[in-house]
Amino acid sequence: MPAAIRLRSVTKSYSKGGQTLRVLDELDLDMDAATFYALMGPSGSGKTTLLNLVGGLDQADEGVVQVGDEDLAAMQSSELAEWRSEHVGFVFQGFNLLPVLSARENVELPLLLAPLSRRQRRQQAERALELVGLADRMNHKPRELSGGQEQRVAIARAIATDPQVILADEPTGDLDRDTADAVLEMLRRLNRELHKTILMVTHDPQAATYADKTIHLDKGKLGRIEENATPTGGS
Amino acid sequence: MPWRLLLRNVIGHPLRSSLTVGAVTVAVFLICILQAVTSGLSRSLDATAANRLLVQSAVSLFVNLPLGYQQKLSAVEGVDEICKWQWFGGRYEQDKGGFFAQFAIDPEPFLPSYPEMHVVEGSYDEFIRTRTGCVIGRQLADKYDWKVGDRIPILGTIFTRTDGAPWEFIVNAIYESSSPAFEELQMFFHFAYIDESLEQRGATGPRGSGIFMLKIAEGVDPVSVQSTVDELFENGPQRVQTTTEAEFNRQFISMLGDVPQLLRLIGGAVLFAIFFAVLNTMMLTGRERTRDLGVMKAMGFGDGVTAWLLIGESLLLCTLGAGLAVLLAVLLEEPLADGTAAFIPGFAIDRQTLSLGVGIALFVGVVSGILPGVRAARMTTTRALQEVV
Repeated sequence: MPAAIRLRSVTKSYSKGGQTLRVLDELDLDMDAATFYALMGPSGSGKTTLLNLVGGLDQADEGVVQVGDEDLAAMQSSELAEWRSEHVGFVFQGFNLLPVLSARENVELPLLLAPLSRRQRRQQAERALELVGLADRMNHKPRELSGGQEQRVAIARAIATDPQVILADEPTGDLDRDTADAVLEMLRRLNRELHKTILMVTHDPQAATYADKTIHLDKGKLGRIEENATPTGGS
Repeated sequence: MPWRLLLRNVIGHPLRSSLTVGAVTVAVFLICILQAVTSGLSRSLDATAANRLLVQSAVSLFVNLPLGYQQKLSAVEGVDEICKWQWFGGRYEQDKGGFFAQFAIDPEPFLPSYPEMHVVEGSYDEFIRTRTGCVIGRQLADKYDWKVGDRIPILGTIFTRTDGAPWEFIVNAIYESSSPAFEELQMFFHFAYIDESLEQRGATGPRGSGIFMLKIAEGVDPVSVQSTVDELFENGPQRVQTTTEAEFNRQFISMLGDVPQLLRLIGGAVLFAIFFAVLNTMMLTGRERTRDLGVMKAMGFGDGVTAWLLIGESLLLCTLGAGLAVLLAVLLEEPLADGTAAFIPGFAIDRQTLSLGVGIALFVGVVSGILPGVRAARMTTTRALQEVV
């Protein structure tokens, strides 16, 4: 069941150098299930903080963060960890694959937390890698892959547990244009074919065109939400 | 627990891992050796006979007692046997670097006083009859491939022959020992042989006897004999010091300082050195893995798993090191025991020593992993993901 995301009066502050910085300021936001969102805004506007709150990596100081039926603000840290393992997949700018593991083992890692046999884990990881077109690179270590291939492995890892929500923080930031387009195309396919709710932080307006909607943040507040009439990306 | 990741983290950094394992191996091996030496010394002290007293000069072990003391000592009530012991300090002519102990003794009372000495080849009676005869230990015989009937040339360093020639001894018997306190790398010969040579001016060297061994009769309290002997020579001509065999050995060892304490201190220093080496490795590893651990936390792995990954890695490195050290110790025990037999007859790397070494390694492994492990567990996921290594 795809999950909708709802934020109400969400406030988040950080202390830095003795000063309190309010990164999100009473933010209200509704995101539909099975929709691909791009999240844009200038540096310091609270994009990554919002992504962390929606992903259960951090908790709001005030307000409600609801993903599907779960109120994340009411959860303990161990409950959040368990929730993340079942409901969220992360894709990072720097790929963040574990260098000592092969592509398949990297994808298999989050599956260790699921009640699966070794054989099932292996099969599920292989399916995810096939889905991103890397069936022939399963036994390669990250250093033996190109940047685009590494990011595709990271996407496979994010979808291995079949989460409802995929959160991507600048997933194409370290990639060249062509490779970035291929990765964005893949994210859009996951949204279209597997009905994943995707929230992608990006600075790249062209990357945002792959999304159904673009959310603009400004100084911790919601600016506007743009609907991309024909989200076909650069193609 | 992602065991495969733990294993890959160790294998994935071969140089760092092998250096750490190597350091732990050397340290644990050293600790095992030090412990074996310490327990070997105490084992040889424990194995000494309670019914033997040793009388030496109160001034120093290097000052000989007059031979006339023997008659007075044998008259002390409770003394069953009396036997001279004189350190010869010679060097085997064929072996430039080798060393073994040679003692001039009185053959007749010697054997009944040392029941742990068992003649296994040749004849002790033949030894008693042969003025230039000698009895040698099994290990000594094996070391130089000496057999009964062989003639052994020994160059005197304390007792030198006036013609400059070496002393010659005929092997009459070979003994084995049933006590770690009585080693098999010794040679015994007639005290009378050197004493007569000195008297006839065929040799030079100190007169008298370094030690008189008193075997106490059954049922007699050695302490009373001890004080009687000390009192007997209180007014000279030379005062004596009477000790039990164990006390004598202890004093002999302590001439080098408090050896067991020194060894324990060295062992402690090795332990600290290896602890800091492993801790340093694990702190670096923990810092380097911060982002990986952050990614795992984001996936849903708990704080405990990330901590245990580092503790487990540290434990694995130390266990590997301890395993290699145990293997090394087992393989080298025999040559080391042979090499140290002259000084530490009780040297043995027993199961208890190996367990101590392994226990120390496991302790170092857990403690060294705890600090980076706790740091990893406490770090928030967002902070870990921001970490730039």
